[in-house]
Amino acid sequence: MTSRRFRFRNGAAGWALTAPATLAVVGLLLVPIGAVIAGTFMDPRGVFAPYLAYFNSGFRTTVLFRTLQIAALTTVVSLIFGFMTAYVVSRAPGRLKSLLIITAVFPLLTGVVVRAFAWLIILGRNGILNQALLALGVTDEPLEMLYTQGAVIVGMVYLFVPLMVLSLVGVLENIPRDVLQASSSLGASPFATFWQVLLPLAVPGLIVGAVLVFTGSFTAYATPQLLGGERQTVLATLLHQRAMVSFDWVGASTIAAIMTVITISVVLAMSHIARRINPMAA
Amino acid sequence: MVGRWRNPVAGMALVLTALSAAPALAQNKTLTISWWGFNGDKLEEIILKPFRAQCGCDLVFETGNNADRLNKIKIRGGGGVDVVYLTDSYSQIGIQEGLFRPVDRSKLPNLDGIHEVARAPQGGFGPAYTIGRVGIIYDTAKVAKPITSWNDLWRDDLKRRVSLPGITTTAGPMTVLVAASQAGVDPYKNEKAAFAALEKLKPNVVKNYNTGSELVNLFSTGEVSVAMAQDFTLAQIQAAVPTARWAELSEGDYATLNTVNIAKGAANPDLAHQFINFILDPKIQQTLAQRGVDAPVATAVQLTPEEASRWTYGAKMISSLKRIDYEKLNAAKSDWLDAWSEVFGR
Amino acid sequence: MSDRPHPILIGIAALVYLFLVVPLVIVVGAALSDTTYLTFPPRGLSLRWFENIFQISAFRRTIVTSLQIASLGTLFALMIGIPAAYALNRFRVELPRWIATLFVLPILVPEIVFGFALLKSLTVGAGVPIFAALLIGHTLLVLPYVVRVIGASLASFDFSIEEAAISLGSAPLKTFFTIVLPNVRAGVLAAFILAFITSLNDVSVSLFLTGPGISTLPIQILAHVEQFFDPTVASVSVLLMFLTVAVMAVVERTLGLTFLAK
Repeated sequence: MTSRRFRFRNGAAGWALTAPATLAVVGLLLVPIGAVIAGTFMDPRGVFAPYLAYFNSGFRTTVLFRTLQIAALTTVVSLIFGFMTAYVVSRAPGRLKSLLIITAVFPLLTGVVVRAFAWLIILGRNGILNQALLALGVTDEPLEMLYTQGAVIVGMVYLFVPLMVLSLVGVLENIPRDVLQASSSLGASPFATFWQVLLPLAVPGLIVGAVLVFTGSFTAYATPQLLGGERQTVLATLLHQRAMVSFDWVGASTIAAIMTVITISVVLAMSHIARRINPMAA
Repeated sequence: MVGRWRNPVAGMALVLTALSAAPALAQNKTLTISWWGFNGDKLEEIILKPFRAQCGCDLVFETGNNADRLNKIKIRGGGGVDVVYLTDSYSQIGIQEGLFRPVDRSKLPNLDGIHEVARAPQGGFGPAYTIGRVGIIYDTAKVAKPITSWNDLWRDDLKRRVSLPGITTTAGPMTVLVAASQAGVDPYKNEKAAFAALEKLKPNVVKNYNTGSELVNLFSTGEVSVAMAQDFTLAQIQAAVPTARWAELSEGDYATLNTVNIAKGAANPDLAHQFINFILDPKIQQTLAQRGVDAPVATAVQLTPEEASRWTYGAKMISSLKRIDYEKLNAAKSDWLDAWSEVFGR
Repeated sequence: MSDRPHPILIGIAALVYLFLVVPLVIVVGAALSDTTYLTFPPRGLSLRWFENIFQISAFRRTIVTSLQIASLGTLFALMIGIPAAYALNRFRVELPRWIATLFVLPILVPEIVFGFALLKSLTVGAGVPIFAALLIGHTLLVLPYVVRVIGASLASFDFSIEEAAISLGSAPLKTFFTIVLPNVRAGVLAAFILAFITSLNDVSVSLFLTGPGISTLPIQILAHVEQFFDPTVASVSVLLMFLTVAVMAVVERTLGLTFLAK
């Protein structure tokens, strides 16, 4: 009797539970955005004209690859440091854990204007870092750290490590410690335990974090503009310019469509890899 | 007997109620204003409260920057608001997109009391209610030789000291005009030469700024010492860098006019006209100037030299400003956007 | 492998936290500075820039609006997102693969285009009132965080516990609240925090969805910094930190979700 109830529940229940969210996303996101993107295919010059026009420019292609590079590097750095930090936090005693999680969240609450100011103080020509380097005699002249790709990545990692930590903490907490202890008591080296036991079990959290960080950094606008300046123009900058300066929504939507295709592809690829490592992951 | 008395009484009661309701109905008029949103409290005190008393209406605001507000008006087909505050470059776009209705000058008697240049800056559309200028601010402590010309931006001693306004800001496109005059060409006819001049300026530029606060931070942390900026930023930059000065440029500064217009789909055009006339009133303009809100366009406004020092004020100064043909500029902006990115985006 | 992480790992985590905290110290210092411009270290200490937030009526109004939108948006996202996350894990085999990607779409699309699309179709096209459209935008914006983060926690949940409880006679809904949810406490709290903060800070979606009479705090700050370059921006950030801690404390207390229990 139990199994019959469950068999009935399986198909219908799954759909019923996801229905509200599915309807919301389809009706209130897919349809409106679909309408906007459909507009890009109705250019009198040709169905794909806006897209061809986009790739016609070496500069714009450079921007695309630069944005991909920044997003990839930010994701990798955030993954590595976020994982290590989340692991330590998940093993922390009660009160300390709460404190650490709340502190991890604070960077997300600093407005972009004041955050840019803080990085100016740290990385600027007369900033803390330069003053320290000069005092230590490491360099004779202040280093130009701002308005480079490195500065952008640092600024973005600052925002996304917290995201990674929050994504992973829940997952890491649920990994039973005895599983890891069993692994080492069976003779596995700490590295083997990490690579073959901990990592696969953490993959659900890693994937969530990686997706959120990659898409967040790929579509980021304010941080690259403030910390990178125009030398570090990214796709979102071009999109904003089209929308807010030229009032060219066809052009802006074209860039949005290109960005969405790239993010979907990357997310699908990441999910695929994750499922290889841990079938329960995505 | 009672029944026959009831009707006239009831009738009178009905009429009285209707009469008392009528002003209430008129009072429900709402004027929707689209503006930036800062200085809300001063504006409430100086403009909104007296205007509400005068018109007996409600005031509702849509706040935001030029671009998003204009975009929203466009998406709504010219409706949603009555009065629209914008900088002149954006109001020109609004006019070209057909989002505003021409103003009826007979309803704006205060127009006669304002500077000529502000009365009809964009044809039959809204007047300017304040005037500012774009020039060069520099730190005299860090820049030994005074800056006296726009061309000085290209000087060798200013290597890695300069910040220009980003192309998306109000003053951004003016950099192209400056570069064109440095190269001795017409920017609308020979933009290639203008941008080549900008390319030569690049070694001097540290970063281009997009908001006033970014510029102040760049100055206060010593990241830049020279910037092309709007006059309203000077006072605050000087608070952080007391040795900062407004350069006396031989060619003159560029004028920026903030305009006020009536949306095409305005629900209350008459009320909108009333409001525009109200903010051009010399008494209101005087208070706004003295309270540090906006520079006055009304000629009757009298300011002490100290009060005037922060504003673009006085017939002599105003007539010396360079004016921009926004129709031409807006037409060229899209191309300039791409060319700008190619220069500064590498 | 002992319970305590390797000292090197602890050291690295400490360095990461140092990296996260240093800019915060700068922000707090700048917020307390008695100057009209952002500077660090602060010159003189004063709370006037905190007072300034409450003196500006536009900030007072929009703080309330932002808190309302963030709370309601997160609540709605939890209401539709938790069942979806549950179903994605429990009925993984029966549901098609692409459903999971569907719930992540809001963050894959550039926010400004999403806001623009909603303005066109909801506000202009369907006449939806401004507050409702803004709320819808924010709910969808934070939905991916809810579905994915809680989903990740549920991925390591052993559903046989739930089946056992149900086969012993416990009602399915009750089982969900008493057996499933408490085991993913950390995930739910993390999702709530992420969603709430994302909504509170959002600019790009709100840009087009605010309208006459309705605006959010970040949008108002953007307008403020066009003209005023004072430390109010720093004090607003500090205020937001306090508000978030307060909200999190309330959530922990009322929903009984607490890390202390583990």
